[in-house]
Parts: sequence; C-alpha cells; structure tokens
Amino acid sequence: MSVRALPVADGPAVRRYAVDLARRHPRLLAAALSLHVVAAVAALALPRLLGDLVEAVETGTTNEHVNRIVLLIAGFVVAQAVLTRYARLLSQVLGEQVLAELREDFVDHTLALPISTVEDAGSGDLMTRTSRDVDRLGWSVRYSVPEWVIAVITAVLTVAAAISVGWWVVLPCLLGVPPLVIGLRWYLARARDGYQWESATYSQINTTLTESVEGARTADALGIGRARLRLLDDDIAESFRAERYTLRLRTLFFPSMEIAYLVPVVGTLLLGGWLYVGGHVSLGEVTTATLYVQMLVGPVDQIVAIMDELQVGAASLARLLGVADVPDDRVATDARPRGEKVDVRDARFSYVEGREVLHGVSLDIGVGERIAMVGPSGAGKSTLGRLLAGIHPPTAGSVTVGGVALTDLPLDDLRGHVALVTQEHHVFAGTLRENLALAAGPGASEADIRAALSAVDALEWADALPEGLDTEVGNGGRALTPPQAQQVALARLVLADPHTLVLDEATSLIDPRAARHLERSLAAVLEGRTVVAIAHRLFSAHDADRVAVVADGRIAEFGTHDELVAAGGSYAALWASWNGEHEVEKPREA
Amino acid sequence: MRSLPLDHPGVADHSSPGRLLLWMAAGQKVTLLGGALFGIVWMGSQAVLPAVIGRAIDDGVAARDRGALLGWAAVMLALGLLQAGSGIMRHRFAVTNWLTAAYRTVQLVGHQTERLGGTLPRRVSTGEVVAIGTSDLEHIGGVMDVSARFAGAVVSFVLVSGILLTTSVPLGLMVLLGVPLLMLSVGPLLKPLQRRSAMQRELMSHLATTAGDIVAGLRVLRGVGGEQVFSERYARQSQTTRRAGVRVARLQSVLDALQVLLPGVFVVLVVWVGARYAVAGTITAGELVAFYGYATFLMIPLRTATEFANKVIRARVSAARVCHVLALEPDTATPTTPLVAPTGADLVDLRSGLRVPAGRLVALVCEDPDVTAHLADRLGLTTADPDDAVRLVDADGAVPLTALDPADVRRHVLVSDTGAALFSGRLRDVLDPLGRGDAVLAEALRTASAEDVVDALPEGLDHVVTERGRSFSGGQRQRLVLTRALTCAPEILVLVEPTSAVDAHTEARVATRLAELRHGLTTVVVTSSPLMLDAVDEVAFCSPDGRVVAHGPHLDLLTEVPAYRAVVTRGADDETDDQNDDQNDHETDRPTRPRETVR
Repeated sequence: MSVRALPVADGPAVRRYAVDLARRHPRLLAAALSLHVVAAVAALALPRLLGDLVEAVETGTTNEHVNRIVLLIAGFVVAQAVLTRYARLLSQVLGEQVLAELREDFVDHTLALPISTVEDAGSGDLMTRTSRDVDRLGWSVRYSVPEWVIAVITAVLTVAAAISVGWWVVLPCLLGVPPLVIGLRWYLARARDGYQWESATYSQINTTLTESVEGARTADALGIGRARLRLLDDDIAESFRAERYTLRLRTLFFPSMEIAYLVPVVGTLLLGGWLYVGGHVSLGEVTTATLYVQMLVGPVDQIVAIMDELQVGAASLARLLGVADVPDDRVATDARPRGEKVDVRDARFSYVEGREVLHGVSLDIGVGERIAMVGPSGAGKSTLGRLLAGIHPPTAGSVTVGGVALTDLPLDDLRGHVALVTQEHHVFAGTLRENLALAAGPGASEADIRAALSAVDALEWADALPEGLDTEVGNGGRALTPPQAQQVALARLVLADPHTLVLDEATSLIDPRAARHLERSLAAVLEGRTVVAIAHRLFSAHDADRVAVVADGRIAEFGTHDELVAAGGSYAALWASWNGEHEVEKPREA
Repeated sequence: MRSLPLDHPGVADHSSPGRLLLWMAAGQKVTLLGGALFGIVWMGSQAVLPAVIGRAIDDGVAARDRGALLGWAAVMLALGLLQAGSGIMRHRFAVTNWLTAAYRTVQLVGHQTERLGGTLPRRVSTGEVVAIGTSDLEHIGGVMDVSARFAGAVVSFVLVSGILLTTSVPLGLMVLLGVPLLMLSVGPLLKPLQRRSAMQRELMSHLATTAGDIVAGLRVLRGVGGEQVFSERYARQSQTTRRAGVRVARLQSVLDALQVLLPGVFVVLVVWVGARYAVAGTITAGELVAFYGYATFLMIPLRTATEFANKVIRARVSAARVCHVLALEPDTATPTTPLVAPTGADLVDLRSGLRVPAGRLVALVCEDPDVTAHLADRLGLTTADPDDAVRLVDADGAVPLTALDPADVRRHVLVSDTGAALFSGRLRDVLDPLGRGDAVLAEALRTASAEDVVDALPEGLDHVVTERGRSFSGGQRQRLVLTRALTCAPEILVLVEPTSAVDAHTEARVATRLAELRHGLTTVVVTSSPLMLDAVDEVAFCSPDGRVVAHGPHLDLLTEVPAYRAVVTRGADDETDDQNDDQNDHETDRPTRPRETVR
C-alpha cells in the first residue's frame, strides 16, 4: 500500500492565514500593542532622567532637586510596571485565543479528511502533527511571537529615543550594523539546517534507545545487544558531529554579535565625549545617549535569538494548515441507489499509475449472500475490499450499489450502505455510551444502544461495569479487554446499520480463547446483511455461500465450497491439506 | 574539544542520585574547571564594565581630557572583546560539559539495556527508560552546563559587592542584602503561579490526548460517523484549556511586572543614595553612573544562581531515575565457571517431559497457548525464573542451560516469539543481524514466503525500515520476523506461532519450505495450524498443566488422540453447542469446525 504524505501549506498561505488570524481580533490586538508601546516609552524615561541627574550633579545641585528627579524616576518605574502587567496580560489572552482557534481549526480539518486519505496515509504523520506541531505552535504563539513583537517595539522606540538626544548618536549605531547584518545573514543561512540536523540526531538516538528497550527481549534472543550498542554509539557520534557544526556556527556568530553590540556603546561614549569637550553637547546628553545605546542590546539580542524559534513555529503552522489542503476524494451526485445489490463490473485499480493491482475483477454479489475471499497475500483481496467499501473508486470499470457508483454517494449515505470492518477496534476516551452513540443517528435512544449491545452479547458485562454505560473507558479510563473492544466495534456496526459489510481480517488478531464468544457476536451483526469477508482461515470459507479465490489481481476461482473442492484447483488442494487428507497432493506452489 | 562519545561510559556509582552526579562531574572535571574559569572571566568582565564607564565619564568626558577619554574607551573596547572571547570559550566548554554528561547518560542506559536483555521489560516500564533518553539527559546535562555560569555569578557578585563596600558601606550592604531579598520577595507569587501552570499543563496534555485519540480512531470516525460529536468535544476542552491559560496569564503578567518593578525599585534606591553622595561630593558623577550600572548588572548573577538551584533539583530527580535503572540485575546469572555447550545434542526438558531429538522438526501443541509459549521461553532460557530442567543431552551426558554462559545459550538456541520486535534500519541489516550473507538471506526470504514484501519496495533490501517496522502490515511483519530467525540459522530454532497472521495459501507454502530449509537442524514450532502440523516430523501434545501427554506424527495423533484432534480442529469439543449456532456462524476468520474431520 502506498503511504502518501499529507501536504504542507506554502509560505504565502501561512502568511495569509497569520494575517487573517490577526484581523479576527482587531481590538484586542490594538490594545495589547498600544499598551506595549506606552510601557516601552515609560522605560525610556529612566536614562533621560539619570542623564539629567548626572548633569545636575556635575553642575552643582541640591538634595531637593535630586529627590524630585529620583521621585520622578520612581514614578516612571511604577508606571512601566503597571503598564507591563496589562500589556502582557492582554497579549497572553490574545495568544491563548488565537491558539485555541488554530488547534480547533486543525482538528476540524482532520475530522474532514477524505476517507481514502485516512485509510492510506497511516496515522504516523498526522499524529506527529497533532502532538508535536500543535505543541511547538503553542510555544510560538504563547512566548516567541509576543516576546519578538515586544522586542521589536522596544528596539524601535529605543532607537528613536537615542536619536531624540541628538542626530550624532546614529553614527556609532551605524557602526554596529555591518557586523550585525553580515553575522546574522551568514548565521541564519546555516542555522536552520544545522539545528534541524541536530534535533534529528536526537530523535535518532531516541528511536534507537526506544527500540533497544522495547525490543530488549528480541535483541537478547538474537544476541545482537552489542550491535545495538554500537548503533547507539554511532547515533551519538552523529549527534556530536551535528552539535560540533552548530557550535562552530555559534563560535563565529556570537562574537560578531558581541562586537556589533559593543562598538556602538564605546562609539557613543567616545563621540559624545569628544563633542562634550568641544562644547557641543552636555554631560547629561552623553550619559543618556550611552545608556540608550546600551539599552538597545537587550531587545536586539532578543529579536535575533527568537528569529529561529519563529521559523520553527511557522514550519509547524505550515504542517497544520496543510491538512486543510487535502482535496476531497469524491463529488457526491444526487443519484439514489435503487435497491441494495452490490455489483463489481470489470474493475481495475492502481494506487500508483502504471502499477495495476486489480486487472478487471467482476463479482456478482446477491443481496444477503455471504462471500468469502481467500488467496495469497498481495493478491489484491484488501484492495478489492476497499473498492467494495467505497473507499476508492476503481480506475476503470465500476463498483455500484443499486446501480449507483459507491463513490458518487455522500459519505453519510455511503455509511448507511456499506461498512468496512477491520482488525482495528479503537475505543475512544469517554463513556461507553459515547463510544456507541457516535455510530447512531441523532435520534438514537437509550433502548437502541442497549439493543445493539445486547445483539453482540455485550450487555451483560456492560451493565456489570461500575457505572454501567456511563463508565469511562478508553485511554485514561477503564481498559476494556480486546474482545470487549471488538464487541464495542461490532455494536457500532449494529447502530450504523449498513446492509452490506466488508470484513477484512476482522477477528484474526483476537485471542483464540475469546474467539468463539466473539464469533457469536459477529454472527449477530452479520444476520440479515450481505457480507464479503476476506479470510485467512479456511473454516470461514467453508461456511460461506460462495468462495472467491483471488490471485494476482484476478478472481481465479469462484463458486460454492463444494464446487471448488470438486473442481480440484488450488482451493481444493489447500482444503485437503488442512484436513490431513493425504491422498490429495500438497498445495501447488503458486 | 574532546571527542565524543566515550568508548565506554564506565561503571557508574549509582548508590544515590547525588553520588551519580558527582561521579559524572569527576569524569569531566577538566572541562568543568575550564568552563568555570572562562565563566568567571566572562561575568567578571561584565561586572567591572560600569566602573570603566564611570571612569571614562569622570576622567575623560567631565575632565574634558580627550587623551584619557580615548584611553578609557580603549579599555572599554578591550574589556568588551575579553567578554566576547571568554564568553564564547565559556559557551564551548559548557556545551562540551552538557554533551559529555548527556551522551554518557544515554550510554549508561544503553549498556544496562544490553546487560539486562529480556529482564529489562519485566522490571521497568519502557516509558521510564525512554524518558531518560528524552528528558533526563537534558536535566543531567543542564546542571553541568550551568556550572560555568554559576561560577562566574558567584565570583562577580562578590566582586561587585566588594567594589560597592569599599565605596560606601551602607550602599554595599544594601546591595549584599537587598538583592537576595528582592529575589525572595517574588516567592509568595511563585506557588500559586506554579499551581495554575500545573493545572494548565495538565489540561494541555489532556487536550493533546483527546486529539491523539481522535487521530488514532479517525478510521472509525470517518467510517461510521461521529465527527461532529468529537469536534464539539475537542472545542469544549480547547476552550477550558484556553481559560486555564488566561488564569495563568493573570498571575504571570503580575510576575512579569514585578520583574520590572523590583529591579527598578532597587535601581531607584541605589541611584538616590548615590546621587545624595554625589551632591555631598563623596562620589563623582561617573561613579553615580557606575552605581546605576552595578545595580542593573547584579540581576544577572542572581538569576543565574536561581537557575542553578532549579537545575540541581531537576538533575537530582533525573539522576534518581537513572540510578533506579542502573541498579537492576539480570534474572539469568552468568555461572562463575560456565560449561561449554555441546553441539548436535538433543534438547530435553525434564519438567514437561519434552524431548526434541537433534536435527528434527517438532511441533508443540496445547489447548492453552500460554502453556506452550512459556515452554518455548524456557527452552531459550528467557524466563524470569530460569531453572535447570532444560538440558542439552548427548552421548557425553546432560548439560543444563543454566550451567552455560547466557551468551553461549543465545548462540545455540534462538527463540522467535509473537512479541518479537522488528528493528529499524536498512532491511538487509534488519533481516540479517548476524551477517550471514545474502545467499542465506535469500533462502530465508523464500522459505518465509516474504520475497513479495521485498520486491514491492523500490529499494529492495536497501529499503530503510521505519520505527518498529510500522509501514508493514501485520502479516508482512510476521513473515519478516520469520525470515530474520531463519537467516540467523541457529543450531536450535524455536518458533512461536510463526504464521498466525498469514493466509492459508501462504502458510501451506511456508510450512513445506520450512521443513526443507531446517532439514538436519533442530527446530521447535509452537502452532495449532493443521497446515503447519502437517509438515513437521513429530508433534508433542501438552496438557494444560504443561506435561507432554502424547507425541508422534500429526496424522497419527489426529486419529488416536481425541483431545489433540479437538484442539487442532478447535471447537469439536462442544459440538452440541455448535449445532445450535450453525445457522448464525456463517462468516468468521477463526478456525472453528471442519465437521468433516470430526466425523
């Protein structure tokens, strides 16, 4: 089966979405931004007042004057603190709001993923997006973005304040720009790949360690414990190479930043001093300007440091938005099926162009008939099953119910016709009732749910649970045994009530000791429905109305059990071997 | 920079978390000292910067002395460069310290995993061990990393206090006592903040679980419906989490404001006192600026000290977890003078009465699959309580497996059970872990009927298997695990349910080929499939209490032992019951009742 990766949104789409998000909360955004601006302005009063103080001290002053200035400083400190409180509060409230919208959008998009994508893509990629990307985005929205915005506001205002002391301050500041820009460009061009490499090596260490631990028994049995250790050492060595690479980047980048910060401060003091000696500026101005330039270091450093965190956040956002980009796999027409008869006519199918898996399969399934599909793995049984369940449309030919192609039906209608039953039997975290109600229509009553449980022979244990149907089950709740979980899955089918079921190894991984009990539950579900069962075991085939042997993407043999045994083909040979009848020769090698 | 990883992590002192950390520190004391040294120079050069600015203002600017101004500016520049240089060196040492400790932690756990083997999953949850590789290494590395800055913080705090004390005793005391006091005054706020944050984190992880639950059950939701219900449920939880975030923000923003207010108040006080001194002529204008500089600088060492304290606490918690794992001992002890395993011996178990003659293919059958699975484990010496009943018997006598070096047992006997894990990596290496060569591997692939799995991969045997072989289906994984066991080609091979997840066509093929490939080698197969049983030399049938009650060829047992027939054809034991259900039991995937054989 081809595992196709889910799409990732491109740069412009991410930017559009970010702008759109910001626009949804204009007032909160404006309030938070203006509070941050005012808070930053209050902070900038301090160097200016300190400059005044130095000026006053130098030219001679009284304690009263000092007291007044210090009181003023204290006033601004308090104002800055109060403003900071509300600015931070508003931006965090905004952040939480935006984050909630983002993750809810993502989950809604996930829940709307086309059914063929859900069956194909595997849950790994989606799971990573759900856990890691939502997490990373949370960090970005909660911390990185606000901190970055604050740093930008502070930096811009500080530059403005410094220039307000005198235009000459620009000169030493400009000296810092070349090392800053050159260093930053050089670093950012390499940092992203470098850190991605680095974090990938830690994932690798983790994977190896996890596998060694989870597979400790296997590694021990195979006697490959030492080889696993060497693997771990190799992973560490690779991680060390990545760490050394990023460290080399920082070894060049950090000092270039330090110099970019240092030169303007020294330059301002030097130039200011020079101008003071020449009588062009006051001592207070020199002090104020130097302090401003020094104050610039913090926010600029913050802007630089958060830059790659923002990149990480944007990448996560792109992956989350990508889920919404999966095109729908079916366009429902308003054709209504006439009757319940499922028909396969000369169906061909390929997952990848040029590699056909089914080469013209026709299957005439009677209403209420039970058909068993057997055949070697890779023959196309599961693929045929998916076509029958309306997950994929055939690439040629047709798969219809009541004369309408299955993939022409809206998903909600399709569910009322056909259901695919697999080994998977997920129990959701929640009450047992919730686990069942999801399959029932909106009008389902308590009685319907109890009847469904009773039909699959599960009502007894369900009622015996501490809180009956209201018992929390699934992750974090009470663990159901695998047979119980399977029964819950079967009860859902009773509630969904499709007239045709496609069983793909539905019970093959069940504990053999519970198998008999489950078979009865299953039988109750199958009662009165058309069934196509993909089976590994021959007993099931024996009991079916007709058996289809699938080989190499074709129906090789099709008929009742007795007909096939009489025909003496591969099915007959297997059946004989199964029963220990040695007068029939062993199954031919396919 | 020293090269990592170390060849061997060494033998750790795991008697207590503190000792483990000290043992680690001792192992990297040179780089720790180097880091501390540069940390001191780095923070020290920041600490004296205000003094230099002050002098530049006094001697250069205020005194209108361009020469002195130039001189002090040069000193400032030099100090800045020293700070940049020592800063990057400190960083390099700190990274080395982090890496050395983190990698060593991983190696220690890796070595312990290898030493414990099958004992490990019996004693600790895998999550606990894996957590060491994800978070604990970071905490243990963290304490080594912060040590360099902590050294600088302590020295620079003392330095600045000294400078201030010599200038003015009250001012110096104000700094020495005031700064720690300021830090402590935030304390009362931290407790409720931590409580609310913990609440928020819990809700966040709950929310993540719900999302994970939705993704894990997405096939169900898209298959039978219920999307709307789950969308609403998630939105509800998401809003609860958001509100918890807002509650955190209410306190967090107060803390943020205090981090502006408290240092601000401190600066105001220092400036006020300083300005009054300056008015009185005790200190100069430049010194006043310097005072302001000290007051703002001192927040850095204070913050570093807090960080150090936090990291030590976390590292101790992590070290405790590592100690717990390192203290475990393997269930199977290595005998002091191990015997040598004889080749070509029969495998005999005195407890069950099983005898597997050398070179034969024997199947184990029992009504209770757990009994035969446990017996398979005992044959391979992989149980929690090894006993000396399992022996290799030849003409020279009997050798209990427990008398051998466990590694020697592994070389002779391979047990491949249903829980066997598929490792990630290049498929060729995954399937041929012992390097037997492509010819052996090809034979094994053919025998396990797994060639189609390899053929379907564009890169064939060079395909890189992802974690736990998740991209393969259950049946494919099972055939690959069987291929691996066959490629290892041990003298004695024990297979537990090797074909339970493959279809009947394939199973029949595997059974025949298995008998051919293992011809002349000792093989035990735990199975109840008639197709497999039909291909073996001999079947040993166990009672539920684990004794071999009958043995012989499959067909003989089928006709002679009713209990055996009942198990193999499953369901014949409660025939009457079956007949009632017959009209219902049309379609199942489990072997139930071939009535023909019962007749």
